[in-house]
Amino acid sequence: MGYRKAFYLANFLMLGVFIWALAADNKAEWKDYQSNYFKMTADSFDKLAAAEKDPAKKSDDEAQAKKFRHMPLEIRQIIVSDLDRYDRCTTCHVAMDEYTNPTMTTPWDKDPKVSAVYKGHPKIDEALVKAHPFTKFGCTACHEGQGLATTTAGAHGHVLHWEHPMLSVKAGHIQGSCVKCHGNFETLKGAEIAAKGRAQFKQHGCYGCHAINGWGQTVSVGLEAIADKPFERIAGYNYDRVRIDGKRLPENEWNIQNWILAHLTNDPQQVTPNDPFAHLNAEPIPPSGMADFSSFVDDKDTGHGELSRADADAIVAYLSGMTQEELIPYRWHVPAPPEREPHFADAKAHGHYVFQKYGCAGCHGLDAKQGRRRFNALGPGQKPYDEKMTDAEKFAEMEKGAEPTLPDLMGTYTHDELIKKIGNGVAAAEAKKWDPKGPLPMVFMPVWKDKISKNEMDDLATWLLSTAKKDDTGF
Amino acid sequence: MPTLDIEKLKKEVIDSQIWRSVFRGGVWKDTPRDRAAHIIGNVWLHLHPVKARPRAMKWAYSWGMGGISFALYLLLTISGVALMFYYRPTVGLAYRDIKDLEFAITLGKFLRNSHRWAAQAMVVAVIAHMVRVFLTGAYKKPREFNWGVGVLLLTLTLFLSFTGYLLPWDQLAIWAVTVGTNMAGATPFLGNEGPFGGLMGMHINNDVRFTLLGGTMVGENTLIRFYVMHCVAVPLVVGILLILHFWRIRKDSFSAAPYKADEEKVDVWPHLVKREYIGAAGTTLFIMIWSILQNAPLESIANPNVTPNPSKAPWYFVGLQELLVYFDPWIAGVLLPGLIIVGLIAIPYIDTNPKGVGYYAWKERKFANTMFMLGIVMWFVLIYIGAECRGPNYAFYPPWESWYILKAAPPPTWSVFGPAHVGALPIALGIPVIGGLFAASMLLPKLIQKELNGKALMGGFCAAVIAVALVGMGLHKFGPVSGAFMLFFGALAFYFGFVMPQRHIRGLDWPRYLVTMGLVVCTMAILLKMCARLTFNIKYVLTIPTISLNI
Repeated sequence: MGYRKAFYLANFLMLGVFIWALAADNKAEWKDYQSNYFKMTADSFDKLAAAEKDPAKKSDDEAQAKKFRHMPLEIRQIIVSDLDRYDRCTTCHVAMDEYTNPTMTTPWDKDPKVSAVYKGHPKIDEALVKAHPFTKFGCTACHEGQGLATTTAGAHGHVLHWEHPMLSVKAGHIQGSCVKCHGNFETLKGAEIAAKGRAQFKQHGCYGCHAINGWGQTVSVGLEAIADKPFERIAGYNYDRVRIDGKRLPENEWNIQNWILAHLTNDPQQVTPNDPFAHLNAEPIPPSGMADFSSFVDDKDTGHGELSRADADAIVAYLSGMTQEELIPYRWHVPAPPEREPHFADAKAHGHYVFQKYGCAGCHGLDAKQGRRRFNALGPGQKPYDEKMTDAEKFAEMEKGAEPTLPDLMGTYTHDELIKKIGNGVAAAEAKKWDPKGPLPMVFMPVWKDKISKNEMDDLATWLLSTAKKDDTGF
Repeated sequence: MPTLDIEKLKKEVIDSQIWRSVFRGGVWKDTPRDRAAHIIGNVWLHLHPVKARPRAMKWAYSWGMGGISFALYLLLTISGVALMFYYRPTVGLAYRDIKDLEFAITLGKFLRNSHRWAAQAMVVAVIAHMVRVFLTGAYKKPREFNWGVGVLLLTLTLFLSFTGYLLPWDQLAIWAVTVGTNMAGATPFLGNEGPFGGLMGMHINNDVRFTLLGGTMVGENTLIRFYVMHCVAVPLVVGILLILHFWRIRKDSFSAAPYKADEEKVDVWPHLVKREYIGAAGTTLFIMIWSILQNAPLESIANPNVTPNPSKAPWYFVGLQELLVYFDPWIAGVLLPGLIIVGLIAIPYIDTNPKGVGYYAWKERKFANTMFMLGIVMWFVLIYIGAECRGPNYAFYPPWESWYILKAAPPPTWSVFGPAHVGALPIALGIPVIGGLFAASMLLPKLIQKELNGKALMGGFCAAVIAVALVGMGLHKFGPVSGAFMLFFGALAFYFGFVMPQRHIRGLDWPRYLVTMGLVVCTMAILLKMCARLTFNIKYVLTIPTISLNI
């Protein structure tokens, strides 16, 4: 090919490719949604006009239809100056744009055949939505997601390198957003799932290891900012092990909600196996010390295991609100009244309450009935340690290590001894290991004397001693 | 019916007063004089010579890489200026502006993609241009100076790309720049972590790294500094050097050798200019298509508290980062790049071989070509290993292996010569031993004046290494992989560091010989240090902690 031909060809190709680039740029996803919405609105006005008898109203409807047919397509955004955010969600969800659609409802809101993107905001009449005008709060303040984006995948935030995808409405995770500002969320209408999550969090003794804003123990990490925690820091290279409903998640679904859910619906040891036999590190590191709350079959089957899927989702919802994002302005915060201590006439009943309040169930089981797993602790029912065992055999025995089942032991303590034991705790290094070369158990009995008041401690000991198993002779 | 006479119209347009005032010269008759006037009479084209040898026009000779580099520079200027209309270099706005480019601005994504990809392509094109110029001996007298200017331009190209890397203000950006600037902190004398830095009174807040960053860590000041360097300061310097570079090409004439002795030169207009245009247009097309199909990377917003694992420098510096596995930062990040730049500039002055100017001459320039290509291959092999084979904790992961397979930490390392409890042997012994080894490898090739039998030498050396490796494996000191490393690196270093210089440059005069050999020995020292680490887990051969000197 001669240079003259190549010259013309190259020039035309450059022009062509530039037009291609322009066309690709012009063919934005949001334009289809916006123009479809305007068309649907115009059609509905046409329909109204056709049915209208009054000529003044008829021409009014026709004018409206005409206006919507000629509406220019543009990126729309809500500027949330409080959060310094720009939410472009209304670019596609035009029905939720107060300026285009002041009622924020559409005639097809209830039509299951119409895609949700064209519908108004549900529950628009409820106090919950009225108290949070969209023009002030925007969308992502509650829903999360990537407000700046104008593509479905990008805006909904289920993409790589976006750490806060939209919170699931179906699973109730969105209620975590109530928790962000409302200290009193447990009394709020519409935050029931988050409230249930907090109740579950208390009931199963999560506070026994995880503190939130200083309330709870420090055996494991504090969770007051867990929703902000950068993903790289939390999961590292363990995320690949996460299974939700037994399935591996695609990388764009790797986020903090699924990470927490995976801990509650699987054995945490699978998620964080660490290095119990020191294959990778100089010292052995036990797997996650968190108990397995997952042995349930399905939602209905609450008889098995401790947490149903709904319970787990509720806890995820609650923890999704654990943010310390500095940008949330102080005037958005609604403090909670201090939690009231219930009164108990009976010392035993109070003791039981104290057991729950401080998260003892996290290690000793609900109602102290069964001590939970304590990896590589010496415990009953283990085969004696034998160096010749394979790693798998050793692992099986290490897994049998458990926290004390309190009713079995209570017979050996006096009231004062028990108070002293609880008060001083048992340091991590004092643990008796099954495999002497294996890792130190991850969980330990923390020091309680500064946390539990004397009165509470007395009643706790009374209740615990009352649970002691008695043999045939009555002792 | 009047017909449209194109030729007449064209003549009228060209002969009009307006056209004549813009383009100098008379009526175009396509004579040699006209074609020469076209070059001389045009401010942009007059940096070209009027005539050049036919070989200089051949793609196979020049690869068009110099022209393509310049085309990319122009493309980068245009797309860069366009991007400047949208981008604000502050910590609070930078990342959001990039997101706006991606999601809201007409052609914003296309612009950013083209700027990013053109920058990557320019790095490759400039390196390819340098390789071509080397292989055709185009740096030799009288073009030594222009080669030096070219080396500076290469360095500035890398620096331009590096400064641009920070601007999106995402995780990729700040951590790549953190890796890069931390190396600067290890500069001898001028960096607070470099050897003798303490003696010079360097602290974290007054050394060269601080100057680059405008602080002790990557932050607002760094962003504005890098922005100004990227958009104004460095492009200005590059522009000035480019004019110098082009002008010197014209003054020194193209290097292309004549095909036959009494060959006629060819007019640059149109023969070279048309090729330049096609090269530039093809490059533009390539970048445009690439930019439509592939988006530039953008990770989460920069967070100085969260270090990605692994954190990597921009790909063209990953080779140096890979050397951090084997060397302290002051060697990998400062000394070696410094030596590379100085060594490259020195090449025309130490290469006394008059042959091989203006054509590819493998046989006539065995030593020069081999050594240069060895360096280029090492540079890219290291980049490949660093970019593709390094996973979490900078452990070695072959490309097909998942990063989710956790790896054991590397075995503990030890140092040969150092103070008590640090080195196995004392420093007092180490300095003479290492000095002696260095002096021997520097001087031996020239001191042995007769030509040695290369094949026998290599055979003997390899046999000796294999014997040592077998003994080592027999004593369970190391495994077969380490043995293979020993043979591979040992043979490379012995062949290129002793056999080749002994055969080819023992006749060089002493000053040139010493400079050449110094560069060769430094290159071989890299291979040997890699061997020492991979085979024997040696961290330092010599460590003097009091002055932060570790080699």
